[in-house]
Amino acid sequence: MVVHRSKWGWSRAGWQRLVLILLWLGHGIWVLLGPYPGGHWTRLADTLARPSQHLASRWAQWRTTRKEAARDFVETRAENVRLTAELAQLRTQAAQEAPRLAEADEAVRLLGLKRQIPLELKAARVIFSTRPATYGGLILDRGRDLDLVPDQGVLVPEGIVGRLWSVGPTQAKVLLADAPNASVAVMLMRSRATGVLQGLGSGRALIRYISNQEVVQVGEAVLTSGLDRVFPRGLLVGYVAEVVPGDLELRVQVNLSAPLDRISTVLLLPFQPPLEVQPPFVVQEPKPQRKKGTP
Amino acid sequence: MRIAAPSATRQNLLCAVTLGLVFLTAPFPRIQFVVHVLLVLALAPRAGSPLAGALWAGAAGWALEGTLRLYPHLGGTAWADMTLALLAGWMAGRWPLEGVKGWFARLAGLLAAHTLLVHLAVRLASGPHPWGFGWLWALVSLPVWGWAVWRLMYTGPSPRLG
Repeated sequence: MVVHRSKWGWSRAGWQRLVLILLWLGHGIWVLLGPYPGGHWTRLADTLARPSQHLASRWAQWRTTRKEAARDFVETRAENVRLTAELAQLRTQAAQEAPRLAEADEAVRLLGLKRQIPLELKAARVIFSTRPATYGGLILDRGRDLDLVPDQGVLVPEGIVGRLWSVGPTQAKVLLADAPNASVAVMLMRSRATGVLQGLGSGRALIRYISNQEVVQVGEAVLTSGLDRVFPRGLLVGYVAEVVPGDLELRVQVNLSAPLDRISTVLLLPFQPPLEVQPPFVVQEPKPQRKKGTP
Repeated sequence: MRIAAPSATRQNLLCAVTLGLVFLTAPFPRIQFVVHVLLVLALAPRAGSPLAGALWAGAAGWALEGTLRLYPHLGGTAWADMTLALLAGWMAGRWPLEGVKGWFARLAGLLAAHTLLVHLAVRLASGPHPWGFGWLWALVSLPVWGWAVWRLMYTGPSPRLG
């Protein structure tokens, strides 16, 4: 067999073998590339890049979360500042409107009382209080200009306040029920015993002329009796605070129900009202519980 | 008795004619597959010249796939044909033919391996595809084309022909 040597030192058979190997390998590689040759490289690149892609994804997610948290924090702070300013503004506004609201509430309550009492009531505003002084009282902003006269009854929704002591052209003075020189005809709600209420000051008063024979309980309601022709029968005066038996009569001490220190608006009864009107202040007595088996 | 290798000229000439038949039988896929198998397994392999056999086999594979125009990525059949042709050539050098029965048996074994390898290579290159029945036609007609190749390449023309 003649061997032809090429100029690079390879035999012809060697070259043929090399070409054959390249041909076979080339075809094999071409076959292994498959229908979409780029897909292999893409999958390989994806596989190699998967760890870095995972890290990059985690890094981007962490940054996004951090950015959102920072934005939420900034927005929360801004909203907090805004809400703080708004709260301060609302508090100031509420403080400014509180007197008007209280006056409006008082007016509503007075209106409700006025609807309950079937008499022609007049309203007046308290402009000054001389209560701390001896024989002090309240100064109203209305006087003869509203056809007021002395001895008109004065009341608020919680109970009676007193009576008009003196009336000026545009002002009137109220003698409070707890004044030492004030007297109101009253009766006890349960026993219906009548007496005269005399002031002790500081929202307290004493009922005179209650017989020792009467049974008076602490906490019992005290109503006007209407005998003084200043108040009609049945207006709430206060509640019994203490009962002390005396030689001839009971010493019944009463806490007045009207808040005499915090009155801003009052209602004025007509002069010498009728004795009987529908009592708005009558406290509903709890019904006695019957024992089982009793009719 | 060992059968002598055919002459290279006759073998190459027969390969060229058969390759032409591969193109010409394109309208008839079953016949084309049989001709293709004939070229790859029976005509192309040559013990002393693997490169020529691989080239003929590769050409047969490209011709078959090119005329079929069914696969998205060609080359699988050509690679399988080259591999089988190299294997057959190696077998021809390692175990020289000693008779027509051995020739038929060898062709049948190579046909089975060829069927499996072609399917695998086409699956790798183009994706899943049906098996088809070309292998069955080739196996059924093996006595015909195997005997024809045997007479044309190894035992010369028939005494009756002359």
